[in-house]
Amino acid sequence: MIEADNLTIDYGSSERKLRAVEGVSFRLGQSESLAFIGPSGCGKTTLLFALSGLLTPSKGSVKIGKKQVAGPRRDVALILQNAGLLPWKTVWQNANLSLILSGDYPACNAQDILEELGLGNVKSRFPAELSEGMKRRVGIARALSISPSVLLMDEPLASLDTLTREKIQDLFLTLWKDRGFTLVLVTHDIEEAAFLGQEIIVLTERPACIKARVSNREVGPLDYRQSKAFDRTVKTLREELER
Amino acid sequence: MKQVLIYICSIIFLLLLWEVASIAINTINSSSVLPGPYEALSQVVKNGAELQRHFLASAWRLIMAILIALVAAVPLGLVIGHERSVDTFVSPMIYITYPIPQVALILFLFLIFGTGSATKVAIVAIVLFFQILVSARGAAKNITEEHLVSVLSAGANRWQVYRHVIFPATLPNILTSVRVGIGVGIAFLYIAETNTAQGLGLGSFIKRYMLFGRDRAFAGIMAMAFLGLVLYVGIDVLERILCRWKYVKR
Repeated sequence: MIEADNLTIDYGSSERKLRAVEGVSFRLGQSESLAFIGPSGCGKTTLLFALSGLLTPSKGSVKIGKKQVAGPRRDVALILQNAGLLPWKTVWQNANLSLILSGDYPACNAQDILEELGLGNVKSRFPAELSEGMKRRVGIARALSISPSVLLMDEPLASLDTLTREKIQDLFLTLWKDRGFTLVLVTHDIEEAAFLGQEIIVLTERPACIKARVSNREVGPLDYRQSKAFDRTVKTLREELER
Repeated sequence: MKQVLIYICSIIFLLLLWEVASIAINTINSSSVLPGPYEALSQVVKNGAELQRHFLASAWRLIMAILIALVAAVPLGLVIGHERSVDTFVSPMIYITYPIPQVALILFLFLIFGTGSATKVAIVAIVLFFQILVSARGAAKNITEEHLVSVLSAGANRWQVYRHVIFPATLPNILTSVRVGIGVGIAFLYIAETNTAQGLGLGSFIKRYMLFGRDRAFAGIMAMAFLGLVLYVGIDVLERILCRWKYVKR
């Protein structure tokens, strides 16, 4: 369970304060999914960093389980825009990064995850040798290696071609259903938000405030994109964003 | 194999240029001012044993200086490049001390350490220290934000950030600064070695024969060039091993 209460984040000094996020509150149960959607540069990434514990909010609080988030946690994984792979580490080392840092390496399940994601035969390669789609899958493997209770994703499929993006969206959906983690996604892609978010929060221009909440409980089946409910959600989101 | 052939061709071309320059200068001056590569190489063969002792003395000093400079400059450069508060305090000191011509310190170092190897190593280490420091600092300032976020979100502590991100990310730049520093270091080593009357070292060897026995002096210069070449190749090999990720097929 993840809960944000009146989350407000300011940057800069007290004289030159820049508000990135203002008064965002939500509550998400175990194994539920939430997507934030808003215009580019509105403060979505800042919001996600606060949820992950990388940023301390200026006001308000974030709780995971019953504990207040005061820094990065072992049970929370973050997938970054370009997968955040370290170019000097191999696929295997990148996938195991969290475990290496925590000292749990090599007692890990990354091998199974790499096999599951079709990366078993490239584990000794460097990121520069991989396609964009494979890099994103390594990022997913790294996140899953710690068996997270909460998975945070910051526009994880930006700059991918449509087919690869849809394939990886399908993968996210399958993993989310199978593994039961709580999923929080930040995106500016309307269809991605509609496909993965059981609840979708539409954010305003900077500072990011909640503009609308859209319920999308039918999320789950892989053919959801072909359903009328999906089209309805996409239409609603488009209207909310244009409003 | 192809690269080795290109290296050999390049060296042969350089020797040809040297031969042409030698013929031209000696013809203009009507005397043997600049020995050709053949004369110099003959002297390398004739004085092999003596030259080897001088070569090893210079090589040892240069390698020691590089290692001392690396150990001192890399951690400091990375810290001031990454930690803004340390940078604010230390950078003015670097800006003030870096432009001081290090050659001006030679006499001062002779007074402190005497005329032995320690001074020669110290002067080269000081020169290399600043080169590596400035380079490491600049590289640490330009770390990709995403790489830092990546390890911080995975729970890295400060030491782990340096170990897994800052050091490997800056290593290519550090090795480049060492490469640049080798040329400057050899020049300063020569100055330091020629400033003492006696002792081993290619600088002393060259100085001893420069006026009367120029062929031999040029054999010493060739040995110095060879020292530079060995170190350049050594750094290249080291980079290929340590920064393997830079050389993969994309």
